[in-house]
Amino acid sequence: MIKKLNPLQRPYKISRQLDTEAPSPQTLPSGKFDAVVVGAGPAGSTAAYFMARQGMKVLLVERGCFPGAKVCGGVSIIAEHTHKLFPNFWDEVEWERMVTDQAFWWMTEDSVLSTRFQSKRLAAAPYNRFAIKRIHLYQWLAKKAVTAGVILVNSHHAAELLFEGKQATGIKIAEPHNTSYLADIIVLADGANSLLAEKANLIQRVSPLTMSLYVKETIALPAKTIEERFHLAPNEGTIIGLYGYPTAGMNGTGSIHTFKNSLSLNVGMSVSDFSRSGIRPYELLERLKEHPHLKPLLADGKLLEYGSALIPEGGYHCIPEIVHPGVMIIGDAAGLVNGVHGVNLAMWSGFFSAKAAYAAKIARDFSAKKLSLYRTLLNESFVIQDMKANAGIAKLQIDIPYLFDLYTRMANEAAFQVAKVYTMPKIAKRKFIFQKLISMQPLGKLLKDSWRVLKVVK
Amino acid sequence: MSTLQEKINSLYFKPDDSWQHVIIRDQKLCKDCSANPCLTICPAGVFGWNYAVTAPIGIAYKQCIECGACRLACPCKNIDFFYPKSSYGVIYTEEQPTS
Repeated sequence: MIKKLNPLQRPYKISRQLDTEAPSPQTLPSGKFDAVVVGAGPAGSTAAYFMARQGMKVLLVERGCFPGAKVCGGVSIIAEHTHKLFPNFWDEVEWERMVTDQAFWWMTEDSVLSTRFQSKRLAAAPYNRFAIKRIHLYQWLAKKAVTAGVILVNSHHAAELLFEGKQATGIKIAEPHNTSYLADIIVLADGANSLLAEKANLIQRVSPLTMSLYVKETIALPAKTIEERFHLAPNEGTIIGLYGYPTAGMNGTGSIHTFKNSLSLNVGMSVSDFSRSGIRPYELLERLKEHPHLKPLLADGKLLEYGSALIPEGGYHCIPEIVHPGVMIIGDAAGLVNGVHGVNLAMWSGFFSAKAAYAAKIARDFSAKKLSLYRTLLNESFVIQDMKANAGIAKLQIDIPYLFDLYTRMANEAAFQVAKVYTMPKIAKRKFIFQKLISMQPLGKLLKDSWRVLKVVK
Repeated sequence: MSTLQEKINSLYFKPDDSWQHVIIRDQKLCKDCSANPCLTICPAGVFGWNYAVTAPIGIAYKQCIECGACRLACPCKNIDFFYPKSSYGVIYTEEQPTS
């Protein structure tokens, strides 16, 4: 297997001129920065942008050879959230489709029970959601930051944080640069699984129980085909949440996002479920693609890109200590993901950290106490309040391992029996369906689980 | 339908020949590991073993897509995962396939 895979070195080529704007390290201004932001993703670029707008001297460090080089596929961004941070962003950024259609599929091997909402009201200004490629979003945000005065350096891998006592004073860049940059404030936006923060003992190693692994594929299809297959108007898109069958009995989710000339399909569950079950992530994805109701939607699609990502799904209780002397942790690195919301929480956390950074700069006080304004702003915003409201979901999924699988099966069984016409009288059929369902899960357990779900989902 | 090889082939890599960013600290520990989740969890099939007692677990790090799941999955905390240095590693470009 390894022998077969080893010779796959493909010629390295980047056809687009994507990283021309970044200054070479020789032209970097020397001296201390007001802030160094690690990671030019949605959180980091937003933080850098708002800090620079306040006149701060900011360095944005990105390990990829351009922002967005390390991520696959796309997301849907919430218009209202993004509009508040970047007014009329839809005129600036290259978006793919306006989301006017949201669906949930509860799947078994051979059936789909779905709910779907479509509305033209979602296509009217001020809009609701936009499907957007991650690479476009990341590059747009980084470009905005650079225009605001941020110095962006690509291909720089921050190896570790520098400290003076407990106060963070800068970052060290790995070889071949081998330089270090000093700053009053370090903002860590290095994504889920923040190795920098862990190495500096600022956060604990994340648990495989609450960290999810997602694999995804971007599949190219002509725009017209996508619109026909998903019943969409031009420029309008759909998001389909997939439950049950996609994760082969474990708790987890899948989803389909439509873009202009492609769609992205992803599926994932917790790292511990993957390792315990021994399911290979790419086989799980292939299995999903073979589903009889999904296969025709993907037919003739061409694989554009394949990717994987870790998503912190521990929720409120897994948010680590995110403010330290001279350090703020934002975005995925801080575990700020709430269900399907991640990118917008990341951008808001970047915004709040920029506010706290500016307040600290004015006061020339970079202690954890001063920077905790960031945490306060987060707490008062929808970010933490929504995460608090959903705080029990992660534990619920761990405590009831059959939650998604069994209840999806039961719902599909009930739907099948309702759809199926028998010769028996209706009263007898209702009894029959009831018996069928409680043969899958005893009534007592069913009620107990329902109560637990009701208590958690607010 | 696409095989793992086709999935990997859909991506650009800039491999670092002088530094391996995923390593197993102590191969001896893997001999006693009954689960070996690294062999299955990696979305890029980086870890491989021919199941011979004497053979070590091979790491095809040049096709790593940098999710970091292996480090979290290892029950012995025996995998050191770093991100590739400088501009090395996987590169996503969203380019249409040439055909």
